[in-house]
Amino acid sequence: MKDLQEILIGVGAGFVIFIALEKIFPSIFGFFDVLALVVIYFALQKGEIWGSILGTSCGLLQDTFSLGVFGVGGLSKTIMGFLTGYFSKKMDLTTPLRNFIFILILLYVNFFLWILLYSFIFSHSLDTRGGIIFLQPLCTALFGNIVFTLIKKFKR
Amino acid sequence: MPLFLKKKNFILFFLLILFNMLLISLQAPLGERRNYLERAMFSVFSPLSHGVVLVFQKSTDFINRYFLLTKIKSQNEKLREENLSLRYENEFLLKALERYRSLEEIKEGLLKFHQNILTCRTITFDASNPQKSIVINKGSLDGIKRDMVVIDRYGKLVGRVIEPVTFKEARVQLITDVESGVSVFSRGRDILGILSGDGKGKCVLKYVLSTREVQPGERLLTSGFDKIYPPGIEVGEIISVVTNPTSIFKEIRVVPFFRPQELDYLSVLMKNPLEFLE
Repeated sequence: MKDLQEILIGVGAGFVIFIALEKIFPSIFGFFDVLALVVIYFALQKGEIWGSILGTSCGLLQDTFSLGVFGVGGLSKTIMGFLTGYFSKKMDLTTPLRNFIFILILLYVNFFLWILLYSFIFSHSLDTRGGIIFLQPLCTALFGNIVFTLIKKFKR
Repeated sequence: MPLFLKKKNFILFFLLILFNMLLISLQAPLGERRNYLERAMFSVFSPLSHGVVLVFQKSTDFINRYFLLTKIKSQNEKLREENLSLRYENEFLLKALERYRSLEEIKEGLLKFHQNILTCRTITFDASNPQKSIVINKGSLDGIKRDMVVIDRYGKLVGRVIEPVTFKEARVQLITDVESGVSVFSRGRDILGILSGDGKGKCVLKYVLSTREVQPGERLLTSGFDKIYPPGIEVGEIISVVTNPTSIFKEIRVVPFFRPQELDYLSVLMKNPLEFLE
């Protein structure tokens, strides 16, 4: 029950940040994928089952607020959530640098999977916003690493 | 232990993958329509996002109103000047219109005009590409229906209402979306074409024969032939024209008149507001 409460609060906070970021700082909105961070955080904490369930939920939430094919974001985030939970058990992610590289790789997996599905379904090129969109996983990983470290310190 | 219990994590993962793939496949026969799950999620989460945006808007308004008064003062002065010039313009246009219509007809027409325009605000932009769609803060309770036309504060075309429409929110497809299509004509010449977005903030004018003469700088207006957009709304300006020897159509790029950074206040045309002039 406590797990579910924690997850609901996490998803709620992610959703509020997702909307607020887009409304208050529209210019930097494209640099961050807040919902992907929520998925990664809980997949690291709770494992691959929660990772994939949250991946589907957060991905579909993202799809709800975009005019495209419903399920594309859900699919890419489900895979990312599962991979995060699965590989985090088999790796030592205690140092911030390792953690950062791990998150970065997963975010790029999610990102390229999404682009691949998008290009495959729509058969036209994606607006990269002058290449800014390719920095999204890097910025999200940096931001996520800081936030995760702070949460860890706060919990202690 | 049975094999399916050992592998339950993988089974769940593949079930979720299948679920997402099923959702993607469902979209193909539905086309522009949205599936029930998406509609349900939109109905639940769009009021939440509306609430979040409202909190931020109210707090920004509060700060602007009570702490940043200098900005308000200059804004007020600017609005007064604009109001005065619009009043003069209005008087001038009314007098010009009196040549063609009686005063009563004009009054009735203006009443209809105001009844048919609904002002709204943007809640969110599209999460995957801001050039595709927006969500507005008016919905079915305000009389919003699918295919209603949305214009910006200067009367330039922005897009049309598409599904899903909830009680207090609706999604608007922008003309810069690749999937959009508007029948337009050039003001200077008799050129008709279909305007689509390029997904990058600009538009392309399709199906203009390469034998037709088109020049950059020409302004495009809605023709009304698509039966969605009423005729005469300003859409954009041609910025480049390329004649490709291998194609029977010209490659025409258009910059839309609406500015994405000025989409906070919009208007929805409930009916064609200039209907009374016809």
